[in-house]
Amino acid sequence: MFKSTLLSAALVLGAAACATAHDEDALRMAPPGDPYVQVSDVLPLPAFLPGLGTLFVNPETLPAGPFLSYDHDGKLSATIYMTPLEELQNGTAYDDLAIGAHHVSSVDIYYNAGHPGVEKPHAHVVLFHDDEAKGRLAK
Amino acid sequence: MKGTARGERIWFAPRGLAVAPGSTVRFVNRDPGNSHTATAYHPEVYGRTRRIPAAAAPWDSDFLLPDESFEVTLTAPGVYDYYCIPHEMAAMVGRIVVGAPGDAGWEGPSADAEDVSPEVLAALPGVEEILANGRIEEEDRA
Repeated sequence: MFKSTLLSAALVLGAAACATAHDEDALRMAPPGDPYVQVSDVLPLPAFLPGLGTLFVNPETLPAGPFLSYDHDGKLSATIYMTPLEELQNGTAYDDLAIGAHHVSSVDIYYNAGHPGVEKPHAHVVLFHDDEAKGRLAK
Repeated sequence: MKGTARGERIWFAPRGLAVAPGSTVRFVNRDPGNSHTATAYHPEVYGRTRRIPAAAAPWDSDFLLPDESFEVTLTAPGVYDYYCIPHEMAAMVGRIVVGAPGDAGWEGPSADAEDVSPEVLAALPGVEEILANGRIEEEDRA
């Protein structure tokens, strides 16, 4: 009985791992597909934002995201979250947010005064997925 | 229209300007990582309280992507206040003084303090300051 339970748990974990790997593969190159939309297709913003790259987001997850950031070659380079400071101060928590890739080489957090899509002053939380990602997204 | 590389600060450059009646003013988005608007405070544009002369036509540039521009010709003497739609919360506003007090039809600055935030009011340069200097530049922190 105990062995059977362990096996079941292992199978569930294995299935979860497969699903995660599959999702990560799907997001590795732009476009990531549904439910993600290219931000510049739906908002008045440049297609490539210096420092942020080409962004895709599931509109249902706004404002926090994740925003998937791709470089000029369409490679997933960062996962970005945008959290309004006022909401945080008022007690809103952004928990269990999805991530574009599980390897994170460094994280930047900084203030942004606002832009179309997330107009309230907010924090950008940028998870870079490889050591060269920041350079590729710079311009 | 300018901003720092990461968007920590955005502003109109200049944020205060004096021009003669009939001048054409061009707004250019020099911010490579953001879009901006130049939008007059006026009931006909998003229902805002009027902050331009009654005789003036309101304007809205719509969103300008980097290097895009918009022109408006200002003929009625008086004080014109305008804002950037996505950045009004960050007090990205500007003021243009057309002509000077004493000009026929001159209308001074709006006295309204209800439709705009205290931060916006604080960011608008004084009319006398603009007339004395010709233009008021934001501190360049890019």
